[in-house]
Amino acid sequence: MAALLTTPLVRRITRVPPAYYVFAGLLIVLWIARPNMLNANVMGIFIRQVAPLGVLVLGQLLVMRVRSIDLSGGGVILLVNYFISSGTFPGASLTFFIVLALVTGTLIGLLNGLMIGLRRSSAVITTLAVGIILVGFVQFMSSGKPPGDVPSIFNQIYNTKLGPIPSPVIFWLLLTLAMAVFLSRSVFGRFVASVGESPVAAHFSGVPVERTVIVAHTLAGFIAGIAALVQTASIAVGSVRVGLDLPILAVAATILGGVVFGRGEGGVWGPFFGVLSFALLFVVMTTFGIGEPGKLIAQGVIILLAAVFYGVRLTKSN
Amino acid sequence: MPEARPSAMTNPLARLASANRGRQGLWLVPLVLAVLLAIALTLRTSQFLTSENLLNLVAQAMPLTITAIGQLFVILVGGLDLSVGSVISFTTAVLALGAPGYVLVPAVFLLAALIGLTNGFAVTRLNVHPIIATLAMQYIVLGITRVLRPVAGGTVPDVVIASVSGSFLGLPMPVYWGIVVIILAWKLLYGSRFGLHLFAIGGGMAAGTEDAARNFGIATKRNIMLAYVACSCFAALAGVFLAGRIVSGDPNVGLLFELDAITAVAIGGTQLSGGIGSLHGTIIGSVVLALLSNGMNLLNVSPFVQTVIKGGILLFVIGLQSRKKMGL
Repeated sequence: MAALLTTPLVRRITRVPPAYYVFAGLLIVLWIARPNMLNANVMGIFIRQVAPLGVLVLGQLLVMRVRSIDLSGGGVILLVNYFISSGTFPGASLTFFIVLALVTGTLIGLLNGLMIGLRRSSAVITTLAVGIILVGFVQFMSSGKPPGDVPSIFNQIYNTKLGPIPSPVIFWLLLTLAMAVFLSRSVFGRFVASVGESPVAAHFSGVPVERTVIVAHTLAGFIAGIAALVQTASIAVGSVRVGLDLPILAVAATILGGVVFGRGEGGVWGPFFGVLSFALLFVVMTTFGIGEPGKLIAQGVIILLAAVFYGVRLTKSN
Repeated sequence: MPEARPSAMTNPLARLASANRGRQGLWLVPLVLAVLLAIALTLRTSQFLTSENLLNLVAQAMPLTITAIGQLFVILVGGLDLSVGSVISFTTAVLALGAPGYVLVPAVFLLAALIGLTNGFAVTRLNVHPIIATLAMQYIVLGITRVLRPVAGGTVPDVVIASVSGSFLGLPMPVYWGIVVIILAWKLLYGSRFGLHLFAIGGGMAAGTEDAARNFGIATKRNIMLAYVACSCFAALAGVFLAGRIVSGDPNVGLLFELDAITAVAIGGTQLSGGIGSLHGTIIGSVVLALLSNGMNLLNVSPFVQTVIKGGILLFVIGLQSRKKMGL
């Protein structure tokens, strides 16, 4: 068994992030069971639904690469949604809301980063607490009731298409591409990789470890701001519950994509396919009439298997 | 990596914290906080210092305290269990299946031990990160719970209801629950080899020498696995208590309990990197949370503001404990 695991072929197969296998498997299942579902229009609608998650994942993979985690994204999404839908800023333009969302996200990300990078407090607890505060704040401001409507321009943009592909999907794709180029070409990208591999070695090699972690969290906050805009455009109304499960799903998709705390073999496209796998999973489950409980169980099993797949490989390679 | 910055020492609160370091963690600050809260509430409201409200407080704090104590075992060895909330809901759902109590009560602990064993196995033998393993388990157990009981309902065995309501020798039952749980946890943590080994394993992990405990001959993996089993079983105990209180099975009763439990442990001065922490700190942390919600209910503070204040306190307390290493 151990000898089998070290053969070059098996090693090459296990180096591919689990997301690709899950995605391919689900695609085959769908192709056999419901071939009529596999056309650009139907898939476009399903994939469009996960675009906010896909954007949020870009920030999550960044912080997970530097051995941290961000669970405050749900709070950012809720807060931005509240700003846009509550009428706190009457008659404000689209540009104003976009800037507001990005500034809000960036500031919250910076706060996370300072707490984690400088104070070295636990990333789980810090971002969780920040998320709790934001959710509580929004629920207090709106007295627990959905605030109001989102300006119609958001939904109009969300519903546009470029050929057969919905524009939110294209936006997500471009953003992912930008992140991939940024991480592979920029100095900061190298810093992220080296901090992830070994913070101690990175420190003694002159990599500004603290600053890298702080910037990674600030960027993750900025990206959460973008995700909040996409999410708000997609639901088109104010809500006090929107996006609360997204941070956890983002962690799950990132792991499925082969990026685990500090180990970034999945790159940026692994998590991208992780998100697509979740989208496809929901399609398959819905077409087979499997309800909410079944989806939860399947999600959990997939996360666990993906992590086991990686964990086992880590033991063997050492 | 650079050591904790010297400026932390000039901060009076940080100095208080470091005076109280050692293996027990920072538990004096939350104790002061709890006393101040109790005094403030006694002065501000007439209802706080009534026997009725205090007993209410004990009953309200009990599930959280039990869950937090379980969480402490796992956190001491540098882990985290996000599945406890689901285990609580699952326990109430199983108890409401309609079979007699002598079948269901042992069954829930057996099932919880199995869940804990799976968590522990994934973490120690399959090398899965604790957050990921228990997150996956949270989904799986919640899914099974929703299959068993899609909406709240059913009735739980009489013995479970009797164990939490009514009184014995003039004291209400929740008080006995508290005493038994604390004695049990005290014995496990401070009166057994198991507890000593947990501190040793966690201390080594926090110092970055994962092998330290194993080199001293401690069965690291087995003990970590048992810590997860203990955590799940304490969560099941909290589930039994809650099922007795609400007299039915509820798939949502444990929702977000894991967050409150981690908050309580963190407020109690336990370090999430492992090795440093205490049972009394965790109990104080749970009491602070219970006092907060009880007091703010008496003062008619909106539950949403309570959430904000809870998060703020968590952020403040976590900011006090500066660590050597960055991380989860």
